[in-house]
Amino acid sequence: MKDPSRIYRWTVLGASILTIIYLLASAAHENYFTQWSGVQRQYREILRQKATDARGRELQSKFRIELKQVSLPALGTVDRCVTCHNGIDDPRMTDVALPHRVHPAGILDIHPVDRFGCTICHHGQGPATNFRDAKAEDAFWDYPLLPAELTQATCVTCHDAEKLPAAQIPLLAAGMKLYREKSCGSCHKLGGRGGALGPALDNEGAKTRHQLTMANLKAPHTTWGWQEAHFRDPGAVVTGSQMRNPTVTRQEALALTVYMLSQWKRDIPESYLAPDKIEQKYRALHPAPLSGEQVYRQYCFACHGSGTYSRWDKTFKRFIPAVRGISLVAAASPEYLAGNIRQGRPGTQMPAWDKHAGGLLPEEITAVTEYLRAGAPVPEKMPPLTLSGDAKRGVTLFLGNCAGCHGMNGRGGVAPEIGNPVFQKAASDELIVRTIRHGRQGTAMPAFQRPDAPAFSDQDVADVLAYVRTLGEHKRDKAVAQNAIPASGGNHER
Amino acid sequence: MATATQEFVHNLRELPHTVKDAWFRLGKTPESEREESQATFHNLFLHIHSVRVHVRTLSPTLTFGLGLMAAATFGITVVTGLLLMVYYKPSTDLAYQSIKDIHFTVYTGRFIRNIHRWAAQLMVLTVLLHMARVFFTGSYKKPREFNWLVGLGLLVLTLALSFTGYLLPWDQLAYWAITIGSNIANSPRELTDAVGVTRWLDPGGFQKRLLLGANYVGQDALIRFYVLHVFLLPLALVTLLGVHFWRIRKDGGLARPEDPMGGPAEWGGARRTVFEPVPTKTYGLMALVKGKRPTVNRGPENTVMAWPHLFWAELAVFMITVAATLILSFYWDAPLKELANPGIPENPAKAPWYFLGIQELVSYSAFTGGLLIPLIVVVGLALIPFLDRRSGGEGVWFGTKGERSVFLNSLLFAVLVTVGMLIFTVDYGWLRNWFPEIHQLWIITFNPGSLLVLIFAAWSLVVLRRRDSVRLAAVALFTCFLVGFTILTYFATVHRGPNWHFYWWPSQWPVH
Repeated sequence: MKDPSRIYRWTVLGASILTIIYLLASAAHENYFTQWSGVQRQYREILRQKATDARGRELQSKFRIELKQVSLPALGTVDRCVTCHNGIDDPRMTDVALPHRVHPAGILDIHPVDRFGCTICHHGQGPATNFRDAKAEDAFWDYPLLPAELTQATCVTCHDAEKLPAAQIPLLAAGMKLYREKSCGSCHKLGGRGGALGPALDNEGAKTRHQLTMANLKAPHTTWGWQEAHFRDPGAVVTGSQMRNPTVTRQEALALTVYMLSQWKRDIPESYLAPDKIEQKYRALHPAPLSGEQVYRQYCFACHGSGTYSRWDKTFKRFIPAVRGISLVAAASPEYLAGNIRQGRPGTQMPAWDKHAGGLLPEEITAVTEYLRAGAPVPEKMPPLTLSGDAKRGVTLFLGNCAGCHGMNGRGGVAPEIGNPVFQKAASDELIVRTIRHGRQGTAMPAFQRPDAPAFSDQDVADVLAYVRTLGEHKRDKAVAQNAIPASGGNHER
Repeated sequence: MATATQEFVHNLRELPHTVKDAWFRLGKTPESEREESQATFHNLFLHIHSVRVHVRTLSPTLTFGLGLMAAATFGITVVTGLLLMVYYKPSTDLAYQSIKDIHFTVYTGRFIRNIHRWAAQLMVLTVLLHMARVFFTGSYKKPREFNWLVGLGLLVLTLALSFTGYLLPWDQLAYWAITIGSNIANSPRELTDAVGVTRWLDPGGFQKRLLLGANYVGQDALIRFYVLHVFLLPLALVTLLGVHFWRIRKDGGLARPEDPMGGPAEWGGARRTVFEPVPTKTYGLMALVKGKRPTVNRGPENTVMAWPHLFWAELAVFMITVAATLILSFYWDAPLKELANPGIPENPAKAPWYFLGIQELVSYSAFTGGLLIPLIVVVGLALIPFLDRRSGGEGVWFGTKGERSVFLNSLLFAVLVTVGMLIFTVDYGWLRNWFPEIHQLWIITFNPGSLLVLIFAAWSLVVLRRRDSVRLAAVALFTCFLVGFTILTYFATVHRGPNWHFYWWPSQWPVH
């Protein structure tokens, strides 16, 4: 037998050589061949070339190759970006390439790096010391580096966007405007105001990529990539999304993306906030009422459109009533309109809008009611209804003439649900009678007493009214009749 | 007569020599067996070895050096762990940032953390393989039963150290691992709730609070796991490791078959050849240490001096371990996910690979999969040397008659059963899918995990009856256990995606 430890001696030699090689390689790799030390050696050369005056020579002599960082306990950040961006606040560095170049637009004059750091505006991984990790698009880091044009989104951390010159934040300003114009508030809550069909957007900018479904998106999977794609085609990004395709250009989608990224409730020490931001926080607690037209535009338009005609909604599979139609506002009292706005229509997509639901102020509800009624003719006095109706006769008439749209028992279908408790409470007899008689212009509701071809007699109208008034009770009583509207077509399932 | 001054000057001049002599007592490489034995037992760290070791001990394919590798990786984690401790801050606010600092700013911090992590991974792997080696070479047999138990304790401690270790960075993995871990600790409630006695008897709730120190995962939990990871568990492990090594010496070295009586083995080289029998020598009863008769007229054949042969072998294993760890650490970084976020769970929240087999079982029932089955496995492993007391086959791979065929049959059987079970559950679901209202007691007692255990136990009994050998029954059961563990681990690692659904490949996971 040969000496059995021979093989072990050779193994020790081999493994030891490998160990030493990798220890040395690691020492070199971690200390000398780091990305940042290469960058700093380049910068040292630039400094040497620019050291033409006393100040330049001083800067050159002070320069050391070392890790540099801005540590801001107040913001909870350690930003090592300055390790590579050495010339970021040196005004001489305008003609050099990134990462040595000075920060553009003189923004650092009012936002010194040593007070603000970098990530508060740009996001990205502050502790990182190489660009790939600092950019953090594929790294495990919640907020990767924002593309330069989207950085406007973070101005709102300390500023009131309304008070910043629009020229400085073009995308953000455009996004804010679009949000109001496209009536996003009809479905989404923001700052406690808005509908409840879509998710609230108050902290949308704080979302991480893990909170958004990226499956239908091409890499890189960033939150802003998601937002932009989603604004261009919601259904293509979120399968089964009910969100209306908002028909925006690429630039507009980008503007809305910036606005969404700016929605981030971040705790920043008060000393960092601009005075207008503090005012904005105060105003948020004591909002100034909007005009009726503004309310309509921001919170009603997305569903009701101009409001002068009723229209078929594919997503909700029903008609959305014309709320500014001449015949409605001519017949409906302000109390009726305000009641519907305040409490919404349970069972439909129309949400309640009073202070504790949709967040509208009482003044605003009055204002929008007036806006709806503006321009409508004062209705001529209707002779009081003297006939007393017979609900039993009314059933037959209702089933024959009304149930096709309003559903059995008034459960609604393509037309509004008139068994609805809010409707029953808010609508006066006069409103119902007028509507049966004259129909609703701009909607599918026909007039049943047209002068040329009266389909209903006065008694018929009274009978139907009597029946309609029982619907509030019948609704609870399921045994009366089966709802003939298939479940998928009704609004109960929505 | 020299003066004290002269003496002082002389001693000062001699200092390099005298210090060297004090350090290397022999002053030179040992040249005779006597000097070699002195080199061994005059050194605290070496004298745990016996002076002579059997040649079989040096055979690389007997042990593959797995035990020593496990010990070496532990040593590496201790050294790198101490370095990391200098920078790590066990606070929920600072822990994550301190790991980022170690990664990005501490000189070679990234490398040190990688080494710590890779050594820990290798430690788990080598401990498991070492256990399999000891089992399949029959090395737990009398008188080594106690050391098998100690080894089992070391396995549990290794897993506990790994678990407490990856919680410390306080990233998403850590936070959700603690959440899952503490919920497994809480899982006896499945049973007490089902029986309706939780109000009076709540071991689950007690265990969870003991782990977390609070009703939620937070600072108290982090400090507890930190203390466990850097102090209590390493201390326990070092203690048991000492016992483990000591027992090897006391139990007569590595297990091996009896040497045949007769002449000395072939051995190259004059001096190290043999222990020459000395016919004139008389032996007293003190030569009878163990065994039935004194070793008369017979030298310890087939033994060689521990110095240098065994030490070269050990050094080789150690250096291989170090080199492997360094190479892995150079190319692959230890993971660090996003900062812990109690609001957004990881999906899938996966444990490291060595716990994924258990996690797959936990997905059927937290109590059965997380506590009951691991307990059964550990108790079963502990009982092996006490149920299989017949000697034979020690120190030889598959040394018992028929062992290799039982091993191969059990391998095939366990693969079929485990894979079949997984295919069935993926395709058809289990009780909760068929009977949503079913009582929890059913889920606890009758799930794929408990069923696997029963089938494996039945298989082992069949082998016991057919082959009439406890050893072969143990081989069957142990093989099933290994195969089940491996397949479940692989399955949970590769084929389980978000919501623990089946996917052919992680690239098919829906992206969040």
